[in-house]
Amino acid sequence: MTKILLVEDNEMNRDMLTRRLSRHGFEVCCAPDGPSGVRMSEEEMPSVILMDVALGAMDGWEATTLIKARPSTAHIPVIALTAHALASDRKRSVEVGCADFDTKPVDLPRLLSKINACLQAPAA
Amino acid sequence: MARVQEESSALDRFIDWFIPPELAAQREKRQLARMFLISHLCGPLLGNVVPGAVWFLEGRPTFPMAILAASITAFWVFPFLLKWFGRYNLLCFVSVQNLMFCILWSCYFYGGVTSPTLPWVLTIPLLTFFYIGPSPKLRIMALCQFACNFSIFFLLYRLIPAPPPPISSEVVGLQVLGIVSTLACAGYVTMMALYYRRILDSGAELEAEMRGHLATAAELRRATAEAGRAGAAKAEFVASMSHELRTPLNAVIGYSQMLLEDAEDEQDDQSVADLQKIHKAGKHLLRLVNEVLDLSKIEAGKMELVREETPVAEFLASVVEEQRAEAEAKGIGLRFQPSGDLGNAKWDADRVRQALSGMLDNAVKFTDQGHVILSAERTPGKAPTLVIRITDTGVGIDPQMLPHLFEKFTVAHDTTASKYGDTGLGLALSLALCKLMGGDISVQSTVGEGSCFTVTLPAAPAGARRKARETAPAAPARKRAAA
Repeated sequence: MTKILLVEDNEMNRDMLTRRLSRHGFEVCCAPDGPSGVRMSEEEMPSVILMDVALGAMDGWEATTLIKARPSTAHIPVIALTAHALASDRKRSVEVGCADFDTKPVDLPRLLSKINACLQAPAA
Repeated sequence: MARVQEESSALDRFIDWFIPPELAAQREKRQLARMFLISHLCGPLLGNVVPGAVWFLEGRPTFPMAILAASITAFWVFPFLLKWFGRYNLLCFVSVQNLMFCILWSCYFYGGVTSPTLPWVLTIPLLTFFYIGPSPKLRIMALCQFACNFSIFFLLYRLIPAPPPPISSEVVGLQVLGIVSTLACAGYVTMMALYYRRILDSGAELEAEMRGHLATAAELRRATAEAGRAGAAKAEFVASMSHELRTPLNAVIGYSQMLLEDAEDEQDDQSVADLQKIHKAGKHLLRLVNEVLDLSKIEAGKMELVREETPVAEFLASVVEEQRAEAEAKGIGLRFQPSGDLGNAKWDADRVRQALSGMLDNAVKFTDQGHVILSAERTPGKAPTLVIRITDTGVGIDPQMLPHLFEKFTVAHDTTASKYGDTGLGLALSLALCKLMGGDISVQSTVGEGSCFTVTLPAAPAGARRKARETAPAAPARKRAAA
């Protein structure tokens, strides 16, 4: 079963996405903040990481930078999730090494297609 | 607040007529010149009372009396000299010299050190120091002038004895002359004192007014700073508020979406219909929250634009495609019609898309049959502009509503609102965004035939490195629509 790590600080968003992704056959593990997201990326070795960018003390971009800097987890594709579809956010995501970018609230079919694209692409 | 009554009497206007512009320009100098002029214009009237009395007492004009009258009357020349030649300080000294001559002359011929015209001596320092103002150098020069004159007078008085006054009855005549002379002198000094008082008053009023203005200016600065702070605080509040609103809204939208998926799986049609309404309302509310946030950002000058080279034709085609599903569902045509090569534009594509989508979405929403066309052309020239037209064959807009179309929360008609849903902040935001990017929007519409929104956007920002915030409009313009 494909494992997804969801890094998201809002409990309801975490619950919703977990349930919806589970229903589509993914195994979902969750991290409520940046540091635990970085830690779990190594412990759980997920196939894809969904990273909320607005996370409080350590934001999603910082966490992604740390994940990408660690050789053992550098290959895991990260999809950034933000509230705004801003070019600046998208640019930032690319800069820190995100494979893709999506906006919240999540449009599930669109997110699924992005996840599948990441899974099919050769490891980055 | 102090309010000065502009009391410009005929006398003031008459006096000011003689003041040359270079003196009139400085308040201090202008006051001195006014003192100088009032004494020169009125002085000869009162001064000539003395030679008049002498003539009356002697019964015939005499040489000393004629010289006295002539030199007193000569004071009338000074205002004209001042007007034509300026040279105020020089004229002051010449005038003081003439004054001393008149007084000492009459003292010499009519009674010497016991002369009845002696009170006039008091006017010499009085007038001199009125005229020359506060300059220490001029004051010392004036004192030297006094010293010289009085020295010469006493010298002459000692060396050449004055002829006996030709006044007929010596004692009585000199007494009458003394009374007349003292009264005239008192009248003259009174006049000068009154006029001086008046100038002081007007100065005090001016100062009070100036203090009032300064206080108002300080008050204004304080109020402006406060308004600025309040505006920033408001923008901050709206921004954080929008963020706080978005989180629970995401839950509403997300969970309703989940329940909707469940209901669809279970083919529970009633629940599907209800959940769709919740989901749709949630999304509508989210859109409004985002629009409020964007508008408040623009109004606070905090909307930053990320400009990148954008292939215009490709970009516009993608904007049109976003409405494809909706247009097909309604069975209306949707076309993109570029004319000529549209080239590239340095745009913040997301913001242009946001501005155009709002209008395109409306066009599709308000058109039940026919088509919606987005056409575009590039105007040539040094500062190329892209003219984008969104034309529909929809319900059209009431001419009365056209001017208010871009205001916040305006709906063309209550009935249209209930039929099509309100447009909310969409158009206000579209206009604010276009203005932020240096462009504009105009609209033409005929009820029952359709509407045409024309968007003009410069292909590149006006100033090469100008920041977006500098062009941020305070608020969407009110009267925008073409009649």
